Amino acid sequence: MTRVAAPKILLVLALALAAVYLFPLYWMYATSLKGASEIFANPPTFWPRDPDFSIFPATWERRTMDTFLWNSLVIATGVTTLTVLLGTGCAYVLARYRNPWIDIGLFAILMLQVLPASVMITPLYVGFNQLGLLDYPRTAVIIAAAGKSIPFYIVLVRATFMSVPSELEEAALVDGNSRWGAIFFIVLPLARNGILVLAILTFMQAFGEYIYSKSIITTQSLQPASVGLSGFLGPNSTDWNGIMAYAAMYVTPIILVFVILQRRIVSGLTSGALK
Amino acid sequence: MRRILSSITDGKGFDLIMVGVTMLFLFALAGVPLVYNVVMSFQQVDMFNLNTFSRPFAGFENYVAIVSQPEFWLVIRNTAIFVFGSIAGQFIFGFALAIFFMLSFPFASTIRGLFLVSWVMPGLVVGALWGWILAGDFGVLNAILRGLGIIDGTMFWKSDPNLSIWAVTIANIWLGLAFNMMLLSVGLAGIPRDLYEAAELDGANGWQRFTTITLPMMRSTIGAVLALGLIYTLQQFDLFPAITEGGPANSSNVAQYWAWQWSFQLFDFAKGATVSMMMVIFVLIASIVYVRSTRHEVRG
Amino acid sequence: MSAQPQIELVGIDKHYGSFHALKNIDLVIPKGQFVALVGPSGCGKSTLLRSLAGLESITGGTMRIAGEVMNGVPPRKRDVAMVFQSYALYPHMTVEQNLTYSLRLKRVPRAEAKMAADEVAKTIGLQQLMHRYPRELSGGQRQRVAMGRAIIRNPKAFLFDEPLSNLDAALRVHMRKEIRALHDRLGATSVYVTHDQIEAMTMADHVVVMRDGVIEQQGSPLELYDTPATRFVGGFIGSPAMNFIPGTIAADGKSVTLDLDEGTALPIGRSLEPGRKVTVGLRPEHIEAVPGSSGQIVLPVAVVESTGSLTYLTTGGAPELTVVITGRTDIKARDTVGLTIAPERVHVFDAETERAI
Repeated sequence: MTRVAAPKILLVLALALAAVYLFPLYWMYATSLKGASEIFANPPTFWPRDPDFSIFPATWERRTMDTFLWNSLVIATGVTTLTVLLGTGCAYVLARYRNPWIDIGLFAILMLQVLPASVMITPLYVGFNQLGLLDYPRTAVIIAAAGKSIPFYIVLVRATFMSVPSELEEAALVDGNSRWGAIFFIVLPLARNGILVLAILTFMQAFGEYIYSKSIITTQSLQPASVGLSGFLGPNSTDWNGIMAYAAMYVTPIILVFVILQRRIVSGLTSGALK
Repeated sequence: MRRILSSITDGKGFDLIMVGVTMLFLFALAGVPLVYNVVMSFQQVDMFNLNTFSRPFAGFENYVAIVSQPEFWLVIRNTAIFVFGSIAGQFIFGFALAIFFMLSFPFASTIRGLFLVSWVMPGLVVGALWGWILAGDFGVLNAILRGLGIIDGTMFWKSDPNLSIWAVTIANIWLGLAFNMMLLSVGLAGIPRDLYEAAELDGANGWQRFTTITLPMMRSTIGAVLALGLIYTLQQFDLFPAITEGGPANSSNVAQYWAWQWSFQLFDFAKGATVSMMMVIFVLIASIVYVRSTRHEVRG
Repeated sequence: MSAQPQIELVGIDKHYGSFHALKNIDLVIPKGQFVALVGPSGCGKSTLLRSLAGLESITGGTMRIAGEVMNGVPPRKRDVAMVFQSYALYPHMTVEQNLTYSLRLKRVPRAEAKMAADEVAKTIGLQQLMHRYPRELSGGQRQRVAMGRAIIRNPKAFLFDEPLSNLDAALRVHMRKEIRALHDRLGATSVYVTHDQIEAMTMADHVVVMRDGVIEQQGSPLELYDTPATRFVGGFIGSPAMNFIPGTIAADGKSVTLDLDEGTALPIGRSLEPGRKVTVGLRPEHIEAVPGSSGQIVLPVAVVESTGSLTYLTTGGAPELTVVITGRTDIKARDTVGLTIAPERVHVFDAETERAI
């Protein structure tokens, strides 16, 4: 190829680009650690003069983050469970066969991916209302959010299954397994990594679910952390200290998990899933 | 009975259940609401008949009402700016980064992976971060721009009606950049290296190789990326309540947020359904483009 | 006629980090010659070819093409054309567009480019395929398009990187002749890399055998066959491969005592110092075999294989010897056979340096 600059220079450039891109994250942590008056300094300071960690427990208390985060956890777990239960089997069947019915099914699922939540929320709300589901708001959100995440999950998990050779299954069937057995003992263990990565991604996205929760859950004690944040976040906010501290506590677990699993996630997405 | 049971454990019944249950679920949660939406947009819906199915037929009243709203064209304009601005920004920067990360240097793939973090962050948090960065007097973006000498005074990204839509667009570009970069990287990696070598021997310089080899061979990937960009941008909701709430004075209101406002702030569900229907048309067009471009591969 | 060679490589050296891929290569190729670079995988022949193209950089030495120094010159300025192993046809362009690509880059007018493409298409028989896409072509057709793309540029040299290895055997035989015929017709200078020594022998004017980044020997095909300079070249050129037997020069200096199961003396037709350790090389096709025990070497037969026109004998014992007989024979497995070879056909290599003596 063309003569390029030495690898070391490229590495420095890459790190610089990454630093620019990740600046907002750094700024979040920096802002939360600055004192309430320092954040309004003009020009802004790039490094907190007097890092104040007390903002974290204070915000935790004031914003009842324990309740909010618990609700987020409940919702995320529910969505992920439902998605994996319903999506995995479907993805498996769609991966193994190719016939006109399968094509229709795939097409339908692809189409379902595209509908914006803001479009779905109106009829879903009205529908849930008529079914009385609004009395169990978190459950309603779980169901609605699962509907949003299942199509995406199916498309990616299907690709994972397609990379497991069907000869292995056939061998298992010949050896005396039923279909269930062949899948549980042979196919699933091999597809386990891909499924795990996608389940984690589903969890992380459901952890940040907002629109359904905001529209359906009106009782504050049942709201997840995203709705809790929106309570004091808006175009006219002034408590940026608190907002950033809240955001930092909300998002850090996700970021940590991401950083640890980053390799797996990237390879799971790029190998065949993005087709 | 036995045949049914054995079909479930070993044959077609098994496949049918696996797919059937899920499809039913999705149908109930996406298919039915979609139809319901269509129906509602043609009905008169208010708090009293919210719980019934048969509501008075309203013909095209709702549609006419929406189009005659004073903010209708503003919302359309904003949605267009948001969509085109986001797609353009995400695509250009994403492509540039994808090409950059094709060069080989140590830790390239790890650093590239870091960019994906925006994808797993809650949209509301991203909105919060950018809301603070774009703040008028105390936002760091203004400080940096002033420091670099690009601007003199203060740009009120969030409260200036001319700038507010761009504030959200900037945040959205940051959010969607990584996904574009990933998809384009996959497409770039699919081009065999010896094509570039052959082109080089045939006399092509770097730019010529890009325009005559890379771009044409990436056509289906680029199509998919742009279509997905449209789809995901129209789905983007969380940034709006976080940064501008559609204001000031609807200057940053877009179709998807407007639809939600109708239903959940003004409690006019019929209008909410109507705006949603208008959006669905665009989304369906984009998805057809997406599906077609993923089937159309040009490989030697 | 012109004194200046078309390609001149002096002291070419290449390192990949700590791996020394090319070691002090000297090669001169006059205009119009067809040179084959052969050798086992990893010997550096592809690296050398790619360095000629400018796709790899060299770490030492001088490279000249048509008299001009090419060190550091990028590929697109070298005016050489390459036919890749995978053909590297542009999949999104028709055959005609593939052919005219290099011309279009130089902004040659459409009509002119089309005319040139038609000319080339006629030369290699592609006229019917001009509007097809590469994915619609067979392997042999793609190969010809790849060559056409090179021909249309009228380059200073043609570089071939194992172009026939993706074709089936019958097609390969046919294409060998076509490529050579094309080379002659165009008066081109060609450098052809292959791991198949038969291709090299049948197509080239000049063969260069490489191993581990070094040129073991270069010369005309028959030179390498008749007088291999090293044991490696002896074993590489010719099929089936040369038989090698260790031995010691006998006391009289005129024959070799072979380390076969039973020591045998083999006259070698010249004088060498007695006691010297050597390796004797015998080509299977030069050994005569008669049933019975009369011959210079007497051995039992382990396997007899016949293809109808040739018969292959493999002897028992160590080392195994292969003998090729034209036609049929009555010799069967487990018979005893007597082998004879003319002294001038016996190759002797020094046991340590492996150089021919």
